[in-house]
Amino acid sequence: MTVTNTQMPSTDRGHVGLAGVTRSEWTKFRSVRSTWICLFIIVLAGIGLSVLLTFIQAARWSQSSLQERATFDPVAFSQSGHFISQLVVGILGAMIITSEYSTGLIRTTLATVPKRFTVLAAKKIVIAVVILVVGEVTAFASFFAAQIILTAHGGTQLPAGASIVTQVKSASIPVVTIMSPGVLQAVVLSGAYLALLSILALGLGFIIRSTAGAISIFVGILLVLPIILNFFPSGFKNSVEPYMPSNLGIAMVVTTTRTTDWAGVLFTPWVAVLVLALYAAVFLLAGLWFLQRRDA
Amino acid sequence: MIDVKNLSKSYGKTRAVHDLSFTVETGVITGFLGPNGSGKSTTMRMIMGLDRPNRGTATINGKPFHEIKWPLREVGALLEAKAIHPGRSARSHLTSLAQTNAIPKARVDEVLDLVGLTQVANRKAGKFSLGMNQRLGIASALLGDPAVLLFDEPINGLDPEGIRWVRELLQSLARDGRTIFVSSHLMSEMALTATDLVVIGRGELIADTTVNNFIDSNTVATVLVRSSDSSRLNQVLAGLGGSITTQDDGSLLVTKIDGTQIGNAALSSGIAIHELSPQQASLEEVFMELTADSVDFHGTTNAKVTS
Ligand SMILES: Nc1ncnc2c1ncn2[C@@H]1O[C@H](COP(=O)(O)OP(=O)(O)OP(=O)(O)O)[C@@H](O)[C@H]1O
Ligand SMILES: [Mg+2]
Repeated sequence: MTVTNTQMPSTDRGHVGLAGVTRSEWTKFRSVRSTWICLFIIVLAGIGLSVLLTFIQAARWSQSSLQERATFDPVAFSQSGHFISQLVVGILGAMIITSEYSTGLIRTTLATVPKRFTVLAAKKIVIAVVILVVGEVTAFASFFAAQIILTAHGGTQLPAGASIVTQVKSASIPVVTIMSPGVLQAVVLSGAYLALLSILALGLGFIIRSTAGAISIFVGILLVLPIILNFFPSGFKNSVEPYMPSNLGIAMVVTTTRTTDWAGVLFTPWVAVLVLALYAAVFLLAGLWFLQRRDA
Repeated sequence: MIDVKNLSKSYGKTRAVHDLSFTVETGVITGFLGPNGSGKSTTMRMIMGLDRPNRGTATINGKPFHEIKWPLREVGALLEAKAIHPGRSARSHLTSLAQTNAIPKARVDEVLDLVGLTQVANRKAGKFSLGMNQRLGIASALLGDPAVLLFDEPINGLDPEGIRWVRELLQSLARDGRTIFVSSHLMSEMALTATDLVVIGRGELIADTTVNNFIDSNTVATVLVRSSDSSRLNQVLAGLGGSITTQDDGSLLVTKIDGTQIGNAALSSGIAIHELSPQQASLEEVFMELTADSVDFHGTTNAKVTS
């Protein structure tokens, strides 16, 4: 029985490295259908929900209160698809590692690399890059779709150089272009928000190992924590609120004045990016610690 | 070569492996035997750097797993057959493994062919039978053409033809000069396949020897005798120093004296011999006897019904 005919490259030089393991993780990622289903939902639900909510808001503009009109942000509102897509990002980010634990594949994976760190780093690269690309596509598509809908409902474009604040005080629906002040940054950060969440979810997956457990905690952090916070005294609540991951996401995409109902609740966009990146790093490092210390 | 030294591992209060030392030599098949829960899989996981021992070391060709530069190409392992994402095809699974260790793509098709999965290479592994999963696991172990191979129960779920295929594959791998370490529940299978043996019970070493030595040193030559007058022959043989057990059908199992002595004694006593056959103890029996004290979970065949 002949076992080998293929010419194998020499093992005298080099060692298993991040490039090869990242290629491997990319192969794993794209070779299961659940990946494509999740990515499809992120894009479709992201754009779909944004379009739907923008449409409803535009249609009832004439019945809206002055307060509502003054706080309407045509950019942040165009990104409201995050309600759904952020959850699917969490599922995908956690599952690329928890599915390995549930099937036992993790043992095969770890038997191919001398250093476990490489596996974590490779998975991080794959999920972060993919979600960043998909997140940006969703963000830009949602943005343009929303502005088209608002325009169709009688929205008026800002004069060049005017700030959004001026516009929202007027009676008509504000519409912005991608070149309006702060808009491009907000749309780009919208995609970045999802990418940072995917890293957080991946770290969570490495820590918890079970799919159901990791996803429950992810949903808890994103949706349940802010609700619980409402039961605390307002002093405490107000000081903690800006740190909620969901509020960091809003802070990244808001473009209107901070004298509206978001005042004090939100960090500035780049501080929000920094805080969320810090969360993601903490979860990922904790995941690495568990990966290296626990039996596979 | 695999070298295990003073390896110990506990999971909470469960002592899985205790002060285990043995070496697995190159160029032969070494069987790894032990009853359920005796620590075979745990030992293999520690050799592969997956579980961290509490004490002791395990090295492959002189290096602990984490110092091997190209693991797949130095040591291949089949640990769990089902350790595959059910939604991924066999080809994608093997491709992803190959990419980590810079193994050429052509090698993926080669191992698929070797284990006979070429036809179903693009089907989801979740649809595979246990035997097909086992073959895919073997393919992934062989992917890097490694000099050291570990197989944890590779014939689990295989049909007789598959079992023979694995046996021949292991033998051909050993002939190439590779180190083959294979665990199995089927002692009879090990007798056919392995040359060397490592036997453990309750996580401790019972024997580290060759299959032949193992049988020889643990069996007593026994002769089965049927005759025209069992009770008189019993007395005669006892007088010669034989140790005799009478079986239900009246035949005698005699140890300590051999067939020639039994035949001569019968002739001089005028007893007709109907059958005189030396009994070859199987590896199975030797193994059962030796590990009887160290079996954690005893099965019982005469379960009583309590009311
Ligand atoms: N990850 C684990 N956590 C807790 N206990 C474990 C773990 N792995 C093994 N054990 C325990 O360690 C002991 C040895 O188990 P192991 O699986 O190594 O035995 P084995 O010889 O492979 O058994 P089998 O022949 O049934 O496969 C058992 O008591 C088992 O319950
Ligand atoms: Mg086992």
